[in-house]
This record gives sequence, structure tokens and C-alpha cells, in this order.
Amino acid sequence: MMTLVLSSVFILLYDVRHQLGHWAVKFENLVVLIFIVEYLARLWVYDDIHRHIIEVYEESELINEPFRVSRAFREILRNKWAYVSSPMAVIDFLAIFPSYRPLRILRLFLLFRLFKLFRYAQNIQEFGSVLREKQAEFFTLLTFLLFILIVGSSAIYLFESSNYGGQIHGFFEGVYWALVTLSTVGYGDITPQTFEGRLVTMVLILSGIGVISFFTSIVVSAFQEKLGEVRDRQVLSQLQKKKGYTVICGHGRVGQVVAGYLHQDRQPFVIIDENREVVMAARREGYLAVHGKAQRLGMLRKLGVGYNARRILCLTGDDVVNVYITLTARQLDEKIEIISRANHHRTMKKLMLAGASHAVEPFKVVGLIAGEYIGQPVAFEAVQGILMGQEEIALEAVRVPEGSWLDGRRVEEAPLEELRLILFGVITPLERESDHVRHHYDLRTHRFQFNPGADFVLLGEDMLLVFGHRYSILRLRHRLKT
Amino acid sequence: MSATGRRKIVVAGSGPVALEVARQLRDRGEALCLVDYDGERLEKARLAGFEVQQVNLQDDDELLSLGLGTEVDVLFSLLDNDADNVFLVISARALAPGISIVSISETEETVKRLQAAGATKVIDPYQISGYRIYEMVHRPVIAEIMDRTVFGTDVDLEIAEIPVPAGSFLDGEYLDRLSLSSRYNLVVLGVVDRDYGDHLIFATNPKRHRIDVDDVIVVIGQREELERLRKEMAGTA
Repeated sequence: MMTLVLSSVFILLYDVRHQLGHWAVKFENLVVLIFIVEYLARLWVYDDIHRHIIEVYEESELINEPFRVSRAFREILRNKWAYVSSPMAVIDFLAIFPSYRPLRILRLFLLFRLFKLFRYAQNIQEFGSVLREKQAEFFTLLTFLLFILIVGSSAIYLFESSNYGGQIHGFFEGVYWALVTLSTVGYGDITPQTFEGRLVTMVLILSGIGVISFFTSIVVSAFQEKLGEVRDRQVLSQLQKKKGYTVICGHGRVGQVVAGYLHQDRQPFVIIDENREVVMAARREGYLAVHGKAQRLGMLRKLGVGYNARRILCLTGDDVVNVYITLTARQLDEKIEIISRANHHRTMKKLMLAGASHAVEPFKVVGLIAGEYIGQPVAFEAVQGILMGQEEIALEAVRVPEGSWLDGRRVEEAPLEELRLILFGVITPLERESDHVRHHYDLRTHRFQFNPGADFVLLGEDMLLVFGHRYSILRLRHRLKT
Repeated sequence: MSATGRRKIVVAGSGPVALEVARQLRDRGEALCLVDYDGERLEKARLAGFEVQQVNLQDDDELLSLGLGTEVDVLFSLLDNDADNVFLVISARALAPGISIVSISETEETVKRLQAAGATKVIDPYQISGYRIYEMVHRPVIAEIMDRTVFGTDVDLEIAEIPVPAGSFLDGEYLDRLSLSSRYNLVVLGVVDRDYGDHLIFATNPKRHRIDVDDVIVVIGQREELERLRKEMAGTA
């Protein structure tokens, strides 16, 4: 098909300077025939004629009316017309329309169809819609342009008509000349000869500059205003390909910190913020970011909450917004993990009621740290450093793989002392009881056995929570693997 | 932890952060005074039960009258604005070279500025909160454990610094041979030896450390266990 189109266009261009041979004409006819067959075939399969006839027949059966073929036909014709008047079909039709030669160049558009280039049609539509929003400005401009054009062409026709020694041979030439001058193209094939004619030209040139700059500025500003939306749409379409990502609502300080860590970890996430500048800043960092209000149901749905998003972080500085987002997200997805920021202590409860999985209070954290710091500065600083990952020493959970040599052994036998690790506790399934643990803490999904005794038996999938040098932890992991 | 000896703490600011800090400190039994220039917000703090004082924090004389340089031991600079905090920290450090000054910062850059201005400790609430949220995403189980045990509210486990009295049973022991985990259900994190500076020497440190008088051991455990250890150490001393 592609070759057919290309060769047909080639013949068309070749035809301009050369005589076509006998075979070429035959070939051309063949191509047109194929196009016609294709067009008709497409028209035929566009929708099902039987269905309409049957429907109409059944309807008339229902109310005991005689079956009228004309009604069914009207229905069918309406549907077929919908196809014929679609842009694609129009191009197809024009391509096979043989009588007017210049239209044959439209066959090039068939290439678009063949290359499936029309999936970019959405972008073209986007441009169209961008320009449509500036309708009022364009209308003003067009009115002005028409006015100038009419005045200019009449004036030039008046002064430069060939009767008075000028080069204008008719009103159409006047219009042509005025447009050429106004657009600042100025071919110079027709030049004004009289003093009056030159005056008109000068006025026309000046207004031409105005019109052009006005036009350019309208288009540019329209696109600048819409650029953000176009980008947002791009981000959203990129997002559709991902799964299990995190939605970060609010890219304030907390949001930035979280995004930074997630980025470091190469975890997929998308940021949404109300402030366009903030969104731009996030994009400069290389993050996916969308401008908009996260509390809107439609926006969250667009971001994939309820489908592909695995968790949502509500980190705006406004508690009302955070509660609202939490509520909306929970409504969209029962299972999604929601972590929210509470700027005020009283919001905690509301967030939990709204369905948040966790909530963090930044100010509370400061209070806690300040309190601990007063009590025992060194210890607290050290532990905080460990937890923030700022030290060589880390707190990590090391999994005991099922069937590994440690599976079923006692804590005593783990090479903790040798690797210079401190055992903080063991994370086990919830139901595990042991006489060798004096205190355990039940978490949502696990049980934390604090400081288990030497005889505590480790089973597969337990996790050792250890303090120690990063390298020691790495070694322990390695040893458990082999 | 209850305060040993009445320290005098001044909290500058009366915003949500300052109130939260004041509340935490009061719960720990510290004596504190909230100071700010904004009378309206101070009134709210007063109604919440805090001792308050209206002070122009940019005026050195008024700072002196608060007892800065004489009785105040710790200053919290928790104003809403980074520039105000920096200014207060500088003034306070000039007036009272020896006290601890704790401040908060809104941005990363201010952390350094505050430290240069003389703050002993700078807390970046957003950094910390952001990290905690990341931890919840990244390793939820550990985050939950730390929340349930050490860092949250109504926690059961505590981190404690316990000084070693002269002649107690720990005096002269090696750090990695303490075996407090079986005797007391405590996890030993490390020790602070004042002879070597203020930092924590981890129990995992390959250089073996022998504990002596005035060292401070850092342990995690339940309050009763910590008390028991304190008492028994004092008993053997």
C-alpha cells in the first residue's frame, strides 16, 4: 500500500515535466481502482447494516406497525455519513477523486494514515484548542485585517489602476498586492508608481508590521499559557505506563526531602502541587510533576489512584487539604497506603478517621527531639544519626532466608559477636511465642521480639534487627545467603 | 527523664513548634519560660499553662534581664523566621558563651548559618519528617518499631544515658563483655568517655574499651529495667 501511494505520487510529480507512458497511465488507473475498492470496503465495514435492519424490524414488531424499509435505510445512511464525513475518510475520498489533478497531491496524506501518523492528531487538536481559546483576539485581528485590506486594495486600485499609468489591472490584483504588502512579504512584482500610491504603501507597511506582531504575540502567548497543561498531559501519559508508584501531594520542604530520597532509591513517584513554579522546580530536578489540586477526585483518578498508584503521601502545609486528600484517596482505593502530614496535633485523629495508614507530625518530632536532647544529648544524637542514615553505623533488618543454615538455629549461633553487631531484636510473624523473650511488641503485620535470649530459635523469614557497621551488616547478609 | 537539678530553660517563640517543645519539656519536668514579642500568641501560651514573658528579642538588654548569661542554661530559639532565629542565636551566644542553644531551621542552608552563629544543635523539622515518611515507605517495619518503641508517644522502650559510679560492678569491665542483655533485658549501644570527647563510642567498635568512672553507658530498655540497673550500680558502688 505504502509503495502504491509513493509511486502514485511519484508519477504525479513526474507527469509535470514528462509524458507518461502507456503503462504508467494503466498503473495510475490501477492504483485509483485499488483506492476505490479500499474506500468502499472501509465504508462497508464501518458498521453493520443487518443490525440496523433487524433493530428497526423488531421495533416495528413490538408496536405492531408495518416494517418500513425507508426508516432502516435512513438509520444506515446516517451512520455511513458519519464515516464519510470523518477527516480520514475525506482524505481518502479526495485521494481517489480523479477529475481535478491538483487534488491528487492529497494522496500524500494517505501516507499519514499508513504510517498511523494520526495518533499525533491529538497533539494537533491540542494546538487547535489552544488557538481556539484566543478566538476573541483573532476575531479582532481579522476584522482589522479585513478593514485594512479592503481600504488598502481599494485605494491602490484607485490610484494605481492601469488607466492612470499604474500596474494594477483589476480589483483582484489590488487585493493581491495589498495582502503581499501587508504581510511584509512584498514580492515587488507590482510596485506603486504614483505619489498617492506610495503613500498608501507606506501606511500599509506600517499597519502590516502591527498586524504581524499582534498575530505572533497572540499565538505565542496562547501557547505559553497552555504549555503547562500540555506538559502535564505528557506526564500523565508517561505515568500510565508505570505501576506501583508513589503520589506525592505537595512539594514543600517535606515533599522535597521525600522526593529526594525516593529519587536516590530509584523508586517511581509523581509530584502534584498547586503552585506552578514549584512544579517547574521539581521538573528541573528531573522528577515527574503535575500542576493541579490533589483534593480533586478527577485529578487523583488521573494520577492513577485506584489503579496503578501504590501509595499516596499528603504532605501539604495545610491540614484541611491533607485530610481532604486522604479522604478522597481512601474513597477511590480501599487498599492504597496513605501517609499524611499533620501540622497540628488535633489533625492526627481526623487523618486516621479519614483513612490514613500513617501520619507524621513535624512539630511533634521537633518537640520529641528537643525533649530527648535536653535529657541525654549524646545518646539521642547518636541514635538519631543512625536512624537518619548519617552514620557509618546503621540499624538494619537482616532476613533469615528459609532453609539457610541459620533457619532453626538459636540466636546464640548467629555470628553477631564475630561480625561486631548488636542485636536489637528479632522481627517474627505475629503469632510467635517464646519463653526466651521478655518483651515483645505487636506491630501491624509482625511481632517485634525485643532483646531475645541466647536460646531464642530463629526460623526462616524472621528478621534480625541489628545495629552495626554497614560493612558488618553486608557481611551478615552475605553469610546468610550461602 | 526527669531533670536532675533545676535547669532554667528559655523557649523563644510561641508558634506551634515552640508550644510543642514547651509541652514536651514540661512533661519531662523541666522549668521553662516562653518568651516572644507577640503579645497575643503569648497570651494563648499563658492560657495553656506556661510561664510567659513579653520580650523584644532583638534588644540585648532585655535578653540580659531574662537571665541570659547568668541563670539560663538552655535556650531554644524557635521563632517562625530563619533570619530571626539566626539573629537571636548570635545575640545569645555573644551574651552567654557557655549555654546550650537549640534552634530550628526551615531550609538546609540555614542549618549551617545557625551553627556558625553559635547554635549547639539545629533541628530541621522538615528534613526529619521527610526522612521518617521515606522510612515508612522504604522500610515500614523498622519505622513502625522505632515509632512503637523509642520515638513515638507513650513509648515503652527508652534510650538512657547512665553514668557509671566509682567502684560499681561495671567499673573496669570491657564494653563488649557487659552482658547486660541477659541480666537486665537491656541492649547496650555504647559508651561516652569524657576523656575522649563527647561522642558515642559504639559497642561494636573493634577497639576494646574498658569502662571506668564517669563514663556514661548508653542503653535501650524498659524504664523499670533501667531503674534497676541504676539502683544496683549505686548499690555496688
